[in-house]
Amino acid sequence: MKKIIEVKNLSKSYKNLKAIDDLSFDVYEGEILGLLGPNGSGKSTTINSILNLLEFEKGTIKIFGKIMKPDAYDIKRDIGVIFQEVAVFEELTVYENIDYFCGLYVSDKLLRKSYVEDAINLVGLKEFTKFYPKQLSGGLLRRLNIACGIAHKPKLIFLDEPTVAVDPQSRNNILDGIKKLRDDGATIVYTTHYMEEVEMICDRIIILDKGKILAEGTTDELKSLAKLEEKITLEVKKISSKVVDEIKTFKTVDSVIQNGNNLVITYKKGKDNLGELTSFLHSKKVTYSKIFSERPTLNDVFLELTGKDLRD
Amino acid sequence: MTVFKTFWKVVKRYKGTIIGFTLMLVIFGSINMSSNDVTSSFKETKPDIIIVNNDNTILADGLVSYFKENANIIDVKNTERAIDDAIFYRDASYVIYIPDGYEDNILNGGNGNIEIKSSGDYTSNLAEMLLTRYIKAIKVLSKEYSDKTTLLSKVNNALDENSKVELTTKINTTELSRLSRYYNFASYTLIAVILFIICLVLSSFNKETTRKRIVVSSMDYKKHNKYILIASSLYSIFVVILYTILAFIIFGSLTFTERGLLYILNTFIFSFVALCMALFISTLVKNKEAVSGIVNVVALSQAFLCGAFIPVVWLPESVIKIAHVLPAYWYINTNDFLAELEVLSFTNLKPIWINMLILIIFAIIFIILNNIASRKKMVL
Ligand SMILES: Nc1ncnc2c1ncn2[C@@H]1O[C@H](COP(=O)(O)OP(=O)(O)OP(=O)(O)O)[C@@H](O)[C@H]1O
Ligand SMILES: [Mg+2]
Repeated sequence: MKKIIEVKNLSKSYKNLKAIDDLSFDVYEGEILGLLGPNGSGKSTTINSILNLLEFEKGTIKIFGKIMKPDAYDIKRDIGVIFQEVAVFEELTVYENIDYFCGLYVSDKLLRKSYVEDAINLVGLKEFTKFYPKQLSGGLLRRLNIACGIAHKPKLIFLDEPTVAVDPQSRNNILDGIKKLRDDGATIVYTTHYMEEVEMICDRIIILDKGKILAEGTTDELKSLAKLEEKITLEVKKISSKVVDEIKTFKTVDSVIQNGNNLVITYKKGKDNLGELTSFLHSKKVTYSKIFSERPTLNDVFLELTGKDLRD
Repeated sequence: MTVFKTFWKVVKRYKGTIIGFTLMLVIFGSINMSSNDVTSSFKETKPDIIIVNNDNTILADGLVSYFKENANIIDVKNTERAIDDAIFYRDASYVIYIPDGYEDNILNGGNGNIEIKSSGDYTSNLAEMLLTRYIKAIKVLSKEYSDKTTLLSKVNNALDENSKVELTTKINTTELSRLSRYYNFASYTLIAVILFIICLVLSSFNKETTRKRIVVSSMDYKKHNKYILIASSLYSIFVVILYTILAFIIFGSLTFTERGLLYILNTFIFSFVALCMALFISTLVKNKEAVSGIVNVVALSQAFLCGAFIPVVWLPESVIKIAHVLPAYWYINTNDFLAELEVLSFTNLKPIWINMLILIIFAIIFIILNNIASRKKMVL
């Protein structure tokens, strides 16, 4: 697979705080790479360093096989960036904003017009082209922010937490749009601290914490890092401690935690854990009002690796 | 081109502010504030004077014929007694004694050693003024023209032209001081409109978030800034042209007389200072609220201290001293000087050239400060 970005031994400190520490990773053509990490883990710093917006102490960055430099305009031409903060002109309409930022890359007027319209359609702002940013809701504003960054049809797109503080409708729209950009051939680096999003759209994930890579791989690869495989939650009216102890002796059960009426059973491995459990409860005449099974989340992986939650 | 167009689109969003300040200029800058204009009040009457010519040279005759035109010359016997009587009975209000050697004295750069006698009344003031003007004019022009007849005709032309504007017709005197007031007031609206709008527009381009977008784009950031600089300059020029057109609408052809052009040149240089100041402030301040706060303070305090609203002569000495460190002081000083100047010539306009030079120095200082400030902020 073709490497679009090669990051080698990247380190960056702010004064005496090591924001990223000896980071190395590659991004491959046509994938959505998720950079997942809690607040302050160094996601934005990583992106800003790759883009040469920050001066870093150590490391080399190659994009499209060439060394990235502040004046590497041929590389920059094919990059689109959506920063964490909304960056638009309050004095310009939705259309004018997209047109301006697109115009920094594309000078041909006709071509630009069609590009701007494509971008508007992608993020679904068709009815709002004449609106000023102040008149847009938070979600629509985020969509505009994205449209401004991708209108010039870049081959490589960085999105830094584009869904922070966004309503579910806009979030779905944004995630769909990102998938569509990937399907159209773009390579995408996506940072977030929402693990659900990463699971939904990313082909590959890098988990960052305190400026270091904790783990790297597909969702399934990462999940296999977690000891547990399945988690069954059971809501019971009454259950004797003898029955609970018996469940603990199941071959695949890792732990059972009783919490009032709730019983959380985690499994290491195994197939049909749920079936086994329900028939067991049936035989013991234990009635339950709710039972459900969950696959482990990336949060569980993160918990496993760091001993803390992804979200603080 | 996109950068350029976008700059103007953003400017257009602030057209309300621009129109507001411009209306203020039209209203306050054109109302007649100088009702007690001395020069305009004794136009119609010509003073009665006696001339005793003891020189009888070409230049002395020139002086006499000038007064024949502008005053009533009374014939009396050339004795002190007769002259004193004439003054006593108010047959004449003013006596001019042209001494022997008047011409030589003038040609050697002197002021002619003319002696006078005055009744001290109302019309004698006018005679006195005519004489002072004449001597001033001939003194200035004698440096440039050595041929006597040419000199005389130049003096007459100068006084003539000058009086068309300032002396003979009542309206034009007031017009000139009104024009001057208009430009003085413009020092406030110009600072406001240039400083305010450019700072607001640039704060949109320079704010951290948009700046990052521009820096990562494939457009050379230096080139981008060059476009912004050119657009800002064009905007300043646009404002000066707008103000000149308004002046023309209000004051008519006076706007484009030699004197009027000097006002325009002065305004143009002043707007350049405002532009440099705007660029400096916008490098320092990126926040729109802070921008409007700072601009208001700068524009208003400068206007009050330098005499944009109130004539400088009414300001206390201490205020005027402080005002010396503000560009508007030098701008307004030039306007006031132009309003009062009798004759225009390169040499007697020297104070104006110095004022303009001082304004340009202000601009250079702002450019240097801006360079220092922006160098610090190059890296994100
Ligand atoms: N300009 C700066 N000066 C000093 N420290 C900074 C600066 N920018 C970031 N940091 C610090 O560097 C670390 C990494 O910050 P960074 O913004 O890269 O994290 P992040 O993963 O993007 O977090 P978030 O999810 O909040 O956006 C944090 O501890 C942050 O406080
Ligand atoms: Mg961040």
